[in-house]
Amino acid sequence: MKPHLPGLLGGVSAAALAFSAALVAPAAAQDQPLVIARNLEINSLDPHRAFCDTCQIYLSSTYQGLVKLGPDEKSVVPSLATEWTANDDQTQFTFTLAADAVFSDGSPVEAKDVKWTFERLKNIQGDPSFMMAGISSIETPDEKTVVVNMENPNSEFMGILAAPYVGIINSDVAAENGASAGADAATADQAETWFLANSAGSGPYVLDTYRPDDELRFVRNENYWQDAAPIGEIVIDQVADAVSQAQMLQSGQADIAMQVDPDTASTINSPDITIETVPSYNFIYVMFSPGAEGNQVPLDLEVRQALAYAIDYQGIIDFTVGGEGEMQASPIPNGFPGTEGLPMPEENLDKARELLAAKGLEDGFAIDVTVASMNVYGVDLALLMQKIQQDFARINVTINIQPVASAVWREQIANPGIPFSARFYAPDYYGSAQYVQFFGMIPDSWWERNASGQGKVDLVNQKEVDLLQQALASSGEDMEKAYHEIALEMINDRIIVPVVSPNLVLAYRSEIDGVRYSACCNLPLAEISRK
Amino acid sequence: MLAYIARRLIAMPLLLLGVITVAFLLSHFTSADPLTSIIGERQMNNPAVVEAARARWGLDRSLPEQYLVYLKNLLTGDFGTSFRTRQPVAQDLLVRLPATLELVIAAMIVGTVFGVALGVIAARFQNRTPDNLARLFALFGSSVPVFWSGLVVLFIFSVQLGWLPGPGRIGSRMSAPELVTGFYTIDTLVAGDWAGFRSALAQLVLPASVLGWTVTGIVSRMVRASMLDVLGQEYILAARAKGAGQLRILFHHALRNAMLPTLTILGFSFAYLITGAILTETIFSWPGIGSYAVSAARGLDHPAIIGVTIVGGAAFLITNLLTDIAYALVDPRVKIGARATA
Repeated sequence: MKPHLPGLLGGVSAAALAFSAALVAPAAAQDQPLVIARNLEINSLDPHRAFCDTCQIYLSSTYQGLVKLGPDEKSVVPSLATEWTANDDQTQFTFTLAADAVFSDGSPVEAKDVKWTFERLKNIQGDPSFMMAGISSIETPDEKTVVVNMENPNSEFMGILAAPYVGIINSDVAAENGASAGADAATADQAETWFLANSAGSGPYVLDTYRPDDELRFVRNENYWQDAAPIGEIVIDQVADAVSQAQMLQSGQADIAMQVDPDTASTINSPDITIETVPSYNFIYVMFSPGAEGNQVPLDLEVRQALAYAIDYQGIIDFTVGGEGEMQASPIPNGFPGTEGLPMPEENLDKARELLAAKGLEDGFAIDVTVASMNVYGVDLALLMQKIQQDFARINVTINIQPVASAVWREQIANPGIPFSARFYAPDYYGSAQYVQFFGMIPDSWWERNASGQGKVDLVNQKEVDLLQQALASSGEDMEKAYHEIALEMINDRIIVPVVSPNLVLAYRSEIDGVRYSACCNLPLAEISRK
Repeated sequence: MLAYIARRLIAMPLLLLGVITVAFLLSHFTSADPLTSIIGERQMNNPAVVEAARARWGLDRSLPEQYLVYLKNLLTGDFGTSFRTRQPVAQDLLVRLPATLELVIAAMIVGTVFGVALGVIAARFQNRTPDNLARLFALFGSSVPVFWSGLVVLFIFSVQLGWLPGPGRIGSRMSAPELVTGFYTIDTLVAGDWAGFRSALAQLVLPASVLGWTVTGIVSRMVRASMLDVLGQEYILAARAKGAGQLRILFHHALRNAMLPTLTILGFSFAYLITGAILTETIFSWPGIGSYAVSAARGLDHPAIIGVTIVGGAAFLITNLLTDIAYALVDPRVKIGARATA
């Protein structure tokens, strides 16, 4: 008998259809967990070792700081502390804790927990430990009062305290599980593994399960001392790429997709899905390292200015994020203290050519570019460099692009240095000092060290050093003014040149309410509800 | 045969030691310091933080010392702690290996069933429409990149038709089953969770089909070539002369003899996919060994890199052994372990 192929295929198709129909789960009920699709990339869940975007979401949902950022994303408002005072020179801060604040195990939040938390954060020598640098002592006159003394003025301390990394830990529970706050905490503390499976805070959620590269699951804190979170269970599902995240959103498998880029978002045309584009505080910048070994011509100020003038900033925004981004004047992002009224970067080929001609470089030169192969905030850094390659070609400057792994980039940027590259930054908390301390040409800042080739070239800008001290010792308008002047200095340094602040795409099912971007916490989970 | 298997099993730890040594040395001679992926940029200039991290992760010791400590710990089942996940590597592997095995076994079943069927059909209808269609299907399977086919099937079957779920090992609103075997399809059944089982099975369909398609392409071409070779043999003619039916000739006489080279391919494919299903795992958010390996390599996560290498090496060694045994079972003429005679 001759085999009958079409019939066979038809049968197989029908069977497959029936099989899939039998497998597909019923529609999601309203009380089911809220699912967020996101590339997790978590480095730790220990509040004092964690340092990542997802960590901000996790920590701000499971722990509470003494204060938090208010709805305006700028002012600090009470959280565990109901009131606080600072002395005039910003060296002493006194906090009164809420009388009814309790941890997730029901035990009260006390001054000893605050002291223990701050000391552990300082002594553990983890990524966020810099936030506690400068604390000279912590006093606990009674169970609900904490006094923090600083070595030097720090007007930014209240902003730092609103960061998720400074959430207060239940010290008794943590210590029972290997945590240490002593001076030897860097080696004595053994609690990181415990923190990967447990939370010990007073936030609206507690950690249910964490499976690396798979999911992070929260459940509502039943002992929460403030208004209970509307959603009982939240899952952040590991979904690496934007297209898969969008597909999960469209199919109803996810309620929120967090890293959908503008291009992918434009393909979603469903009335069930809300797409919002909001400005973010994240930014992508290019940088010059005059001290890098590979420089073929001295990258002095005039050359850096010429190259900065040759960049087509609007073209970069259009090319990298389809127009969904903002220009940024200085390494301090738009909206942070001191940034109002700053001059935006300018593309001016005539000025660029004029500056190069004055240096005898009108025929151009070549620069080696090593860039990390990564897509961050929707921007592919290697593609960004290709755009700049075209821009620089207009003034006869050739750039040779070499993409490398991010870890290799970080090795090379320190030694032997990379003449020209691109990188990104997201705020650790709301405050401008972090940018000056990282990007400013002040002694031993990360970029001062790297751009100068670990001190081969003198790039220190003493004005920035003085202004930073001034800013940290002042508040209000005086502080704003000092940061404004620092920002102008940083622009004039032409070491760090921001090229785009990508907008953030918030994509979520239309029945979800309360989705917003926060400068400190990324996505405040406790504000999310179902309509 | 038993003596041969015993010899192979005894040699296995020595071979793995070689694999471990090479992996250890290679991972430590990369151009970047693993600290660059352990410490954030901001703290890289802080000597206290750098020093603390070196001490904590044992990177302040000399290379030979690190190697000896690693081997000593390995004897107790301690593969070290991952720089990236901050969990014991053994624990990471214990979760990821079953995930990958579940996917790869399902893909191998899909790939083998469809590959053999298409190969037989192609050979039976040589140079006719079914043969051309089967070869075209196989060609696509071998050449279409998984990152494309994966996204396309997700779009069609999950987003557009809603027949099958999207990425993940179990429905995103469900909890993972209690770890028993690590195979969600089995663990949900063990727990008596029928809804979980249906979900785990549904989640498996698309990634297994996409990954299986790549195997289908290879297997069907191999089966077709072997079948054509066998179908031209005199004993097939003799079977026909004796009045044997078409199906009996195809499956009993021809396919059995055509399976030997296919077994080699299947064994190799299985071992390769254990660490090579990276793209499928990424597209389908399947937390397996492949994606773990890539993340480890990107993050200079030495303990994880060596852990994955051990698993990959063991997979190849075990699969080769099983393939040899399967040879002997399928073809009685094959005597494994016998010395060749002149």
